[in-house]
Amino acid sequence: MVVIKVKNLSKKFGGKTIHKNINFEVFQGECLGLLGGSGAGKSVILRSLIGLEKPDGGSIQIEGEEIVSKEEDQLIEIRKKVAYVFQNGALFDSMNVYDNLAYPLKEHTTLNHAEISKEIHKLLEEFGLEGTSEVYPSELSGGMQKRVGLARSIIIKPKIVLFDEPTAGLDPYNTIKIQETIIKLKQKGMTSIFVTHDMPTAFAVCDRLALVQEGKIACVDSVSEIKKDKSNRINQFISGIYI
Amino acid sequence: MKRITEFLEALGKSYKLVLETLKVGFQRPFDSQLILDQIYQIGVRSIPLVFIVAVSSGMVMALQFGYGLAKFGGKLYVPKIVSLSIVREMGPVFACLMLAARVSAGITSEIGSMKVSQQIDAIRALGTSPLKKIVFPRLAACMVAIPMLSAAAIIIGVIGGLIVGSMELGLDSQFYLQKIFSTLKLHDFISGFGKSFFFAFFIATTSCYFGLSVTGGTQGVGYATTKSVVTSCILIVVGDYFLTKFFMVIEQWL
Repeated sequence: MVVIKVKNLSKKFGGKTIHKNINFEVFQGECLGLLGGSGAGKSVILRSLIGLEKPDGGSIQIEGEEIVSKEEDQLIEIRKKVAYVFQNGALFDSMNVYDNLAYPLKEHTTLNHAEISKEIHKLLEEFGLEGTSEVYPSELSGGMQKRVGLARSIIIKPKIVLFDEPTAGLDPYNTIKIQETIIKLKQKGMTSIFVTHDMPTAFAVCDRLALVQEGKIACVDSVSEIKKDKSNRINQFISGIYI
Repeated sequence: MKRITEFLEALGKSYKLVLETLKVGFQRPFDSQLILDQIYQIGVRSIPLVFIVAVSSGMVMALQFGYGLAKFGGKLYVPKIVSLSIVREMGPVFACLMLAARVSAGITSEIGSMKVSQQIDAIRALGTSPLKKIVFPRLAACMVAIPMLSAAAIIIGVIGGLIVGSMELGLDSQFYLQKIFSTLKLHDFISGFGKSFFFAFFIATTSCYFGLSVTGGTQGVGYATTKSVVTSCILIVVGDYFLTKFFMVIEQWL
């Protein structure tokens, strides 16, 4: 079943064309990796999928619902089922870790204080973040901030998660922690799109990889096919032949 | 021509920002804690600043008018002139100019920093509205706190004048008070106090607008903060003329 369908997506910033004609589909429970050079517009695709960026043209359907034409207040329901994991975590720096995690629960659930507290402490334990609930984001390491950001995004159990370079700049320990979390979420049936330059993680978590080049999806293939076929365009991109 | 276009564009966007903020701000659930937090930040924490500005301006005005009018034998008019000037004009304008600097800089840099660190995007991505969570509480807090601070500035400024009048100029404090009460009418207070609601609106909308318009990282935050403070001050000073005229018309009706 197709969960995300992007058709003829186009976007310009000023005079610069970012997307000419982006087309792809993501299936239920699948993780699609988006690869491409810096400035190729991978993050813009993710932002468009949740309505943070308005495309100039084309169509985006989330579970069959068109979102491009939706106004900000109409996107709230979409954003409850599609979570966005920001590259830097984007934690609210005026709130401690507990309040950051409580924010979506207070906004979108009817849980009481005790239930919220239980949910948060369970998640902190799952993410290896025990003892950080009273800590402010500025006191956390980059890796911990990303893990808290990821925890905050999935705390209301969205159906789809969009990852924007969640492992960029992380040490191997934090990278593996995030990989494990994404694999666990996948096992629970979550659909995701994963923007990254981190190839080992992409190969570990993604089912298919798509290459964004010159404003289009230049190639889409399954990870197993890419691994087999060395002449594949994505393999050539990874080896630095195409940028 | 480009500047005029930019100005008109900013005006249109600010208008849209206010309309959308009012639309989402009154929707349920209503988070009064966010507004109370901002009233504390904007109002309570500005009290020392407003006190110093108000008492100083009242004292300086009494001193200047005292020495100036003494040359013409008009020292007895000091209570009337000083209190009238403070109540109708100087109290709210000075207080709001200082608040424009403090509050605009604070709000714009805070919202701007949230914008460049993607916290505003995070609020949206989590299915909530930055207008409801960020802009509305600041707008509401400004509309409550700034007029209250202006009213306090009026009273403190008049007391400052009274202190100098009685201690420096040798005027009897009973006489000074009597002249204040016989001179000031309710419409004088309404004229001064009424302006502060408009000034509060200028400060809140300008600072939120520039905060949300930040682009280009920390340098952009600094640039937007400067623009926000300057624009708020200009709006207060220029707006003051038109508001004075406006309240004069209202006084004729009263």
